[in-house]
Amino acid sequence: MVFAFRREPDLWFLIGSPTVWALHFLACYVLAAVHCEKAGAGFVSIAPVRVWIVGLTAVALAFVFVSGLQAWRHWGFGANQPPHDADSPEDRRRFIGYAALLISALSFVAIAFTALPVLFITDCR
Amino acid sequence: MLLGAGALWTWVLATTWYAARTSPERHNERFASSLILWAGAVFPTAVLSALLTYGLWLTADLRGPGDGLSIAVTGEQYWWRVQYRSDDGVPVESANEIRLPVGERVEFFLNAADVIHSFWIPSLGGKLDMIPGRSNRLVLHATRPGVYRGVCAEFCGRSHALMAFPVVAMERAEFDRWLEGQAAAAEASKERGAELFLAQGCGACHAVRGTEARGAIGPDLTHLGGRRTVGAGIFDNTKENVARFIRETETIKPGSRMPSYSMLSPQDAEAIAAYLGGLK
Amino acid sequence: MTAGHATPPAPDPTLRAEQERRLDKAWETPRGWRYWSAVNNTQVGLWYTGTAFIFFLFAGVLALLIRVQLAVPDNTLLSAQFYNQVFTLHGTVMMFLFAVPILEAVAILLMPAMYAARDLPFPRLSAFGFWSFFIGGVFVCGSIFFNAAPDTGWFMYPPLATDVKQSGIGADIWLLGLSFIEIASIAAAVELIVGVLKCRPPGMRINLMPLYGWYVLIVGGMILFAFPPLIAGDILFEAERLLNWPFFDAKRGGDPLLWQHLFWIFGHPEVYIIFLPSIALLAMIVPTFAQRPIVGYAWIVLAAVGTGFLSFGLWVHHMFATGLPSISLAFFSAASEAVAIPTAVQIFVFIATIMAGRLIFAVPMLFATGALAIFTFGGLTGVMVALAPFDWQAHDTYFIVAHLHYVLIGGMLFPLIAGVYYYFPVAADRMLSPRPGKIAFWLMFVGFNVAFLPMHFTGLRGMPRRVFTYPEGFGWEWLNLVSSVGAFVFAAGIAIIVIDVVRTALGAPMRERNPWNAGTLEWLLRRPQKPWQTRTVPPVSSRYPLWADPELARKTDEARYYLPDAEEGKRETLITTTLDGDPVQCLRLPGNSFKPMCAAIFIGGSFILTTFHFYRGSLVSGVIGVAIILWWLWTGTAIIPEKRTKDVGVGLKLPLYVSGSDSVGWWAMLITMLADMSAFFSLIFGYFFFWTIHEDFPPAGVDAPGVLWPGIAAILLIAAWAVMPLAKRLNARGSAAGLRAMLAVNALLSALGAAALLSAPYVTGLEPTQHAYPAIVWVLVLWAAAHAALGILMTLYCFARSFAGLLTREYDIDIHNVVLYWHFAAITAAVTVATIVLFPLASGG
Repeated sequence: MVFAFRREPDLWFLIGSPTVWALHFLACYVLAAVHCEKAGAGFVSIAPVRVWIVGLTAVALAFVFVSGLQAWRHWGFGANQPPHDADSPEDRRRFIGYAALLISALSFVAIAFTALPVLFITDCR
Repeated sequence: MLLGAGALWTWVLATTWYAARTSPERHNERFASSLILWAGAVFPTAVLSALLTYGLWLTADLRGPGDGLSIAVTGEQYWWRVQYRSDDGVPVESANEIRLPVGERVEFFLNAADVIHSFWIPSLGGKLDMIPGRSNRLVLHATRPGVYRGVCAEFCGRSHALMAFPVVAMERAEFDRWLEGQAAAAEASKERGAELFLAQGCGACHAVRGTEARGAIGPDLTHLGGRRTVGAGIFDNTKENVARFIRETETIKPGSRMPSYSMLSPQDAEAIAAYLGGLK
Repeated sequence: MTAGHATPPAPDPTLRAEQERRLDKAWETPRGWRYWSAVNNTQVGLWYTGTAFIFFLFAGVLALLIRVQLAVPDNTLLSAQFYNQVFTLHGTVMMFLFAVPILEAVAILLMPAMYAARDLPFPRLSAFGFWSFFIGGVFVCGSIFFNAAPDTGWFMYPPLATDVKQSGIGADIWLLGLSFIEIASIAAAVELIVGVLKCRPPGMRINLMPLYGWYVLIVGGMILFAFPPLIAGDILFEAERLLNWPFFDAKRGGDPLLWQHLFWIFGHPEVYIIFLPSIALLAMIVPTFAQRPIVGYAWIVLAAVGTGFLSFGLWVHHMFATGLPSISLAFFSAASEAVAIPTAVQIFVFIATIMAGRLIFAVPMLFATGALAIFTFGGLTGVMVALAPFDWQAHDTYFIVAHLHYVLIGGMLFPLIAGVYYYFPVAADRMLSPRPGKIAFWLMFVGFNVAFLPMHFTGLRGMPRRVFTYPEGFGWEWLNLVSSVGAFVFAAGIAIIVIDVVRTALGAPMRERNPWNAGTLEWLLRRPQKPWQTRTVPPVSSRYPLWADPELARKTDEARYYLPDAEEGKRETLITTTLDGDPVQCLRLPGNSFKPMCAAIFIGGSFILTTFHFYRGSLVSGVIGVAIILWWLWTGTAIIPEKRTKDVGVGLKLPLYVSGSDSVGWWAMLITMLADMSAFFSLIFGYFFFWTIHEDFPPAGVDAPGVLWPGIAAILLIAAWAVMPLAKRLNARGSAAGLRAMLAVNALLSALGAAALLSAPYVTGLEPTQHAYPAIVWVLVLWAAAHAALGILMTLYCFARSFAGLLTREYDIDIHNVVLYWHFAAITAAVTVATIVLFPLASGG
């Protein structure tokens, strides 16, 4: 739905990439929390969790990147500048594309932020 | 960090002021749009990335292992049970006061007996909650000898505001001497206060090691006289204050489990206070 | 609808006068005691706003009591017990009875006008929401006059708040009173989401929507996923208090942290649920006073959507000090930093708009700028406390009190007051006075900073929150005294606004039509305004239609556009498509009625009686409430019109009755069920949470519900669901007998299924008071069975409607909506069985 290269975007396109962020975030948190709770906390290593998170992050970033590309296409590759406030289907499409592009960029940053902790934290303490 | 925040705040306000004063001819929409992009999105992202990196690095560091001494503290309504863990497995019981050696990373194991409390010594570091059914680990590091104050930081009921404790950071040798003293039982006493203490049933809840008072419900009073405060950090440790606390507990500490012993005559209460004050 | 609408000619004046008379009659607001049966959204919106504002003043007085008590050390003015009630109620009322409801109220009040719609699609639902809010709010607030207010903090942490001896009846009042209000909030969210998406004027494409609409849409969506976890938490909490089911009792396998998770999954998004609609007001105000369209419209959409999502990744930052592993904290720290990005974008959109325009400085703009200054500061301290190490120091101290008030007063109250000054003409036909406004602003701005700036330092000097008194000698005395003085200066500003509002509403002359020369449709309203809003519904081809066409007001008044008349004496509004705003239906709206109010009274009565443990009375009251709702639905929804289509003006003919995904009712069902699902998944989360904290789950010595009975239940309930689409298809083919047969089969199967499900934990002897495991299994099973029971009620409703000739081949709204319900009920049953049967098997339990 979100990633199909459809010509006409609808409102779902706006929430595609943040949904990816949400799933990625939830997966990272649940993986780490369950791992540490089951291990009894303390100084138990989270190495397997870190590997998983790196993998998930790569997948999530790829998804967001593709949906950003899609949005960029709907926007018309920047051929027209905002505000996209004309009463026409084209401007409506450009607007959704532009907004979705911005949201994808934010989701990209947010996913990268989520993955940042695994660089610094190595155990369950 | 506060300074940085202040600078950013001033900058945002200055920009707003400038934006309000300037005329639209000076800056077209294009310029305004790029302001959103650079000042509203790119710049905050960069600052926040740096800040987050710093914060994460600090988080990992602060929770490192301790240097050996570990103290179990249990939050109860509305006081602190303190147990210094020792090598022989029998912890040294105390209450409502914590002493630490300076220059060492001391580990605290935090628990709660009834409701959630939070253990906090503002001058030494962050706080950590005490949650029934969970044991939390906190590492604190006192660098200078001195007396600090700790408080309960999580709302825990009616007398939440009256739940504090003094913290004494001392040199290692002095600390060891003190701990040895704490481990010892109280000296036997024949004074009237000691008899009253037992006769009034205080021993059902309080322990004075070495006597028949072996209660474990309230704070251990074996060395009460050596503590800086009474009533969990609310009064200086004087005879008058102890006597008043015994007779007016419910007024002084609403909701506490100890009833007011208002039927005691002031003289009797003072006798008990004198006895307890003598337990150094 | 494309660009350049040809304006149709105006009808002649006599016809116009006649049309107006008919509109007046159809939309008449009742007089006398029947006034309270009004359901029109603009009317209900006024009551709603006013009530929420009165709760605000009440909570403000409580705040002043707090400041008086803390003005000097060792103060004995208030007892600990009373102080704890005061601060608990202050937080509770401000959050649950003021901040969230007033913004929903303002949206209900303004949305129809912004869309030049006659009304939103479910006026009676809004009325029901208002009365629920009113009853629940008075109940919760009133408790303090009987010394029975909740006194364990607005966050109600167990085990303190689950301890019946220590927390008394106040906690029950909090739980039941607020659960009832949360239901009202969700009702408003349903109304607003459908309203924003489907009630736009013809031609208002998604890229032309007023920004306010965007924010309301996002916030509505957030409410659907944020409030239900708290309702789920309330259910567990009340089960522990009333039935002794140990969800939060560590001694019996529960965990107090589960409540904290559920509470803050609600609690943090809630901050943004409050913040976004207030910023939405600024997004309407700033362009008007810059006299130009907003710069960065799409950026605002980015900010709203981005904040909406990220706000769900912040909840653990309220739990940084609970001892969770650093890695868990770190994820939430990361999201808490990330959410600052869309917020910064938001602020700079306003700055950019001001920069590219020529700013007119009036009172609303004054408050808007004040909001920006205060909020930015609160945002910056927010970025600091989002870092776990800093938070460990600041958490639960006055630093946080300062931070949250900077955020909420800067991000919510100041924009709201800006909105009051800006929109007072729309709400009450009059202008508030600029001079008192300016004085009020400066009193509030100065008073606020004097009160709350010192608190940062009080907190950093180690003063914890929620203390009824504090000792001398820690450098807190003068800081607290300054804060108390500031609080009273701030209150003086509020008092001036109250006086100005009352004085203006009673006596000032009427306003001009568009006093601020704004560009959006709400300024089309004539004076004095009519309950039917604008004379006709104009087509829209611009973000700022009044700037694009200065003649629009005149042409609208001349009845040249849509819905010029109410020939049949019925209330009507236009329904348009989501993306392009093409008109697709003329929706008949229900008129005034006491039914929503009575339903709220009896449902509320059921909650209130439970508080006092009058279970029989509570049951009776609840049954009466449900009966009234059924009566209301029967007489007020899916009404068969006298003709299929209707001429709505400008040569357009629209259907009066549509069903399935074209109908607003279907969308309302879908949205309600999404909220229902998030409550359900919160309970499922509870199950898995218990699994993570226990080594053996199910615990040793406890029999899981086995496979047999849950398996039978699953088969029966899935079968019950499967016949529903069949029933719909048979009806579409014209077979009323087939429809009724399938409905009967569904009712029978689901009754058996629910019974089988309930017998599952019963036969293995799961005793819910023993351990958290049996308790959570029972809750899940009861939840699924209750959904089956509700499904039966709906099925039987369709059955009766079919016999009454109200559900037919052509007029089939009911069956579509009930089938939709059953999809969700089937998911609930399937997931419940999978959780309680398959999971223990899979994990070797």
